[in-house]
Amino acid sequence: MSPDLTVVIIAVALPFVAAGLTPLLFRLFGERTGYVGAAVAFACFGLLASQYGSDGTVALSWIPSLEIALRFTVDAWALLFALLASGIGVLVFAYSPVYMHGESGLARYYAALLAFMGSIIGVALAADLIALFLFWELTSVCSFVLIGFHTADRSSQYAARMAMFVTVGGGLFLLVGLLLLALVAGNVLDGSAFDLAAILAEPEAVQAGLRERNLFVPTLALIAVGAGAKSAQIPLHFWLPNAMAAPTPVSAFLHSATMVKVGVYLIGRLRPLLTSTEWLFLFATVGLATMTVCAALAVASRDIKELLAYSTASHLGLMVAGFGFTSVVGAEAGVFHLFNHALFKAALFLVAGIVAHEAGTRRLDELGGLRRDLPVTAAVTAIAGLSMAGIPPFSGFYSKELLFEATVEAAYGLGTLGWIYPAVATIGSVFTVLYSLRFLALFFGRRPDGLGRVHRPPILLLAPPALLAALTAVVSVYPDLAVRAIVQSAVDVTVTDPHSMHVGLPRAYSPAVEMSAIAIGLGAVSYFSFGRIHGGIRSIPVAVPPIGANWWYDVAVDGLTETGSRLASTVHNGLLRTYATWTLATTCVLTISGFVATRAVVGATVGIEASPEIGLVLLVAVVAGVAVVLSPSHVAGILTLSILGFMIAIFYILASAPDLALTQLVVETLILLVFLLILEEIPEYYEVGLGKVARDAVLSIGIGVTAFLTVIVTTSARSEGTSDVARYYTERAVPEGGGTNIVNVVLVDFRSFDTLGELVVVAIAAISVITLLVMRSGGDAE
Amino acid sequence: MTAVVLAAVVGSLFALGTFLLLRRDLIRVVWGLAIIGQAANVYLLAMGEIAPASFEAVPILAGHGEEASHAQTADPLVQALVLTAIVISFGMTAFALVLSYRVYEEHDTLDLSELGDQD
Repeated sequence: MSPDLTVVIIAVALPFVAAGLTPLLFRLFGERTGYVGAAVAFACFGLLASQYGSDGTVALSWIPSLEIALRFTVDAWALLFALLASGIGVLVFAYSPVYMHGESGLARYYAALLAFMGSIIGVALAADLIALFLFWELTSVCSFVLIGFHTADRSSQYAARMAMFVTVGGGLFLLVGLLLLALVAGNVLDGSAFDLAAILAEPEAVQAGLRERNLFVPTLALIAVGAGAKSAQIPLHFWLPNAMAAPTPVSAFLHSATMVKVGVYLIGRLRPLLTSTEWLFLFATVGLATMTVCAALAVASRDIKELLAYSTASHLGLMVAGFGFTSVVGAEAGVFHLFNHALFKAALFLVAGIVAHEAGTRRLDELGGLRRDLPVTAAVTAIAGLSMAGIPPFSGFYSKELLFEATVEAAYGLGTLGWIYPAVATIGSVFTVLYSLRFLALFFGRRPDGLGRVHRPPILLLAPPALLAALTAVVSVYPDLAVRAIVQSAVDVTVTDPHSMHVGLPRAYSPAVEMSAIAIGLGAVSYFSFGRIHGGIRSIPVAVPPIGANWWYDVAVDGLTETGSRLASTVHNGLLRTYATWTLATTCVLTISGFVATRAVVGATVGIEASPEIGLVLLVAVVAGVAVVLSPSHVAGILTLSILGFMIAIFYILASAPDLALTQLVVETLILLVFLLILEEIPEYYEVGLGKVARDAVLSIGIGVTAFLTVIVTTSARSEGTSDVARYYTERAVPEGGGTNIVNVVLVDFRSFDTLGELVVVAIAAISVITLLVMRSGGDAE
Repeated sequence: MTAVVLAAVVGSLFALGTFLLLRRDLIRVVWGLAIIGQAANVYLLAMGEIAPASFEAVPILAGHGEEASHAQTADPLVQALVLTAIVISFGMTAFALVLSYRVYEEHDTLDLSELGDQD
């Protein structure tokens, strides 16, 4: 079945339209706009669900001359991601009105959330590299608005800026990577440079093309930086915990279920195209490192949202590593864990929101034993938390088992050193178990004495996480259901040689089972010394600050800010001569280094190209210019300047340009008159400080030399004879313009709009002059 | 073939204009701009190969209609460009002058170092 273009376009456009209408909706519905948002999300979900089972690409022409189109691919992988985004979107929108009750700026909040959902659906479906990049960056921009929702809060500003800096910066790497890909694809597949669907249809040919041009590793690395920045992979993971400054529903939606998964999604999407040994080493290593380090950092967290944020980064590492392994089971791990993680992590974030909302604190050491106060929430947390820990028979276990299998398979393939992969994955899982237990302790541990009364959450706060937990429970009990429904077909998109996947509780011994057993056992045992591990990890960045990525970010940003302000006060100090010096000197240096780099000056044939008369006239002009510079008074300067102008007019006559000469004469006369009129009002003689004559002279000579070289280089590069444009005008002047004076015909006929523009400029100058003169009385009156 | 004489003239005019542009006297800055404008025009014209002054080289066709000759004339395109440039630089110079005049009226000085310190 091929997808329906109209349905797809509506599903992508609807959230954006709703976002545009949000100010209006907010006026109508007030805080209940969230329910409208839920309805929009549900409509998108329905539209996308109606495309279930279809597979194909539809396109809407956008920039045909560049062969860029709004192309959308609908397949199981795209649908899985888009359905998760819109489905969790429904729950987040339904959750928001109660949670965000009484906050100001809600119109902005809902508009950004809607636009964000649209961008995610766009990324999921986009099959054009340019459209993909645009939607990708839109998610970053919306995320910036949402993280910085508390605009007056400094930590919020800091976090928003950091997220923007990292994800948009990463996006630029991605752009270059995609352009390289398009460059090669355009050659290999002729004509479909930006068409991702066409590129993915010929993965071997494109990869071979990339390798032939030695662009494979750069392209892979650039795309990896973009995806890694978005998906919070080490060493660019630090923005994600900071992004927790956003309101909790945003954290649940953007920073666990959707935006951060965009990178993983892209890795999965490009996997068939770029899969190779380099791919394995890059993504498996980065993914597993992220999984382990971020899990350890989650253990060291003090705040429930911080814990969940590091946990998210860790799980993203798991998915990236899964896709990194070139075996089919790796892709299965990536896809299935993306699905499971979206469900349980969104539930846990919404639980964190409930706890923060009802208990009034998010600090881990102030919370505990909440099961009696929040029984339903506790049940939700139990299911989601155990799934996060990867305890059988919960859903997270199945996908983690798949990853373990993939690591073992890779280890067999790679030899002794390859066993590092399973080892690291197991260590990461120990930490995962550890922090999951810590999170569960919020509900099942001892209740701290300082904790006050905790209210029961309203049903609208409780229903969304409960629904997600119920789905997690269903997947836990019947994992095959999810596999058959969508996961299997999504995996098929991300692998080159599909085969049917099996998940379920292990029935026999395998290395993967052993790894799980070690992870769970060690995790449970070491939980008894949680305090010591927590303190131990916390003390590392305190002792050695440069080990934290955040430290590097701060150093870089502070350094740039300081350098920037120092540079600004040097260059931008309010004195014209400073501006002129910097601008001119830069021009000089850039031009001359350009000439030197291209060796343009060498090989110019020297010619004179000026008759003695022209030489004489121009010599007088230059002498007049020197006189202008040396003139002691304004009158002398104006008169010598006029001599220069009139000499140029004579030069025009000698150069067979009578129209120019006429114009120049008129203009020179007028300028002289204006100068003389002004001269009456200003001091005739003005003190000129000698100042830095030597420095100015050096700069002037530099500019003179640059101009001299430019004329030499450009005139030697002229083609012989009349240019095509000139010949065109000469030949058509009479038949099409009806005039024999070619210059006139060009100005008033062929290029009459340019002349109109010129007249507008003169008219604006005239109006400004009049205004300035008339304002005089107004200025005095003040 | 390079145009060494024209290059030298353009180069020296640019140097003189730049020197004026860096003066503290606002009026001199305006002169500097005017000189640089003239130099740029000469440069533009040089790009179309300066034709020796002759009746034939003037870009005005002799005949009309069918008889119009398509003889080699000086490049009409650069001339049209320079014509526009002359008019625009006239507008700019006039505006800059009136602006300087107003500055003098408001602040009683044309010294740019003093003006720069005032805000």
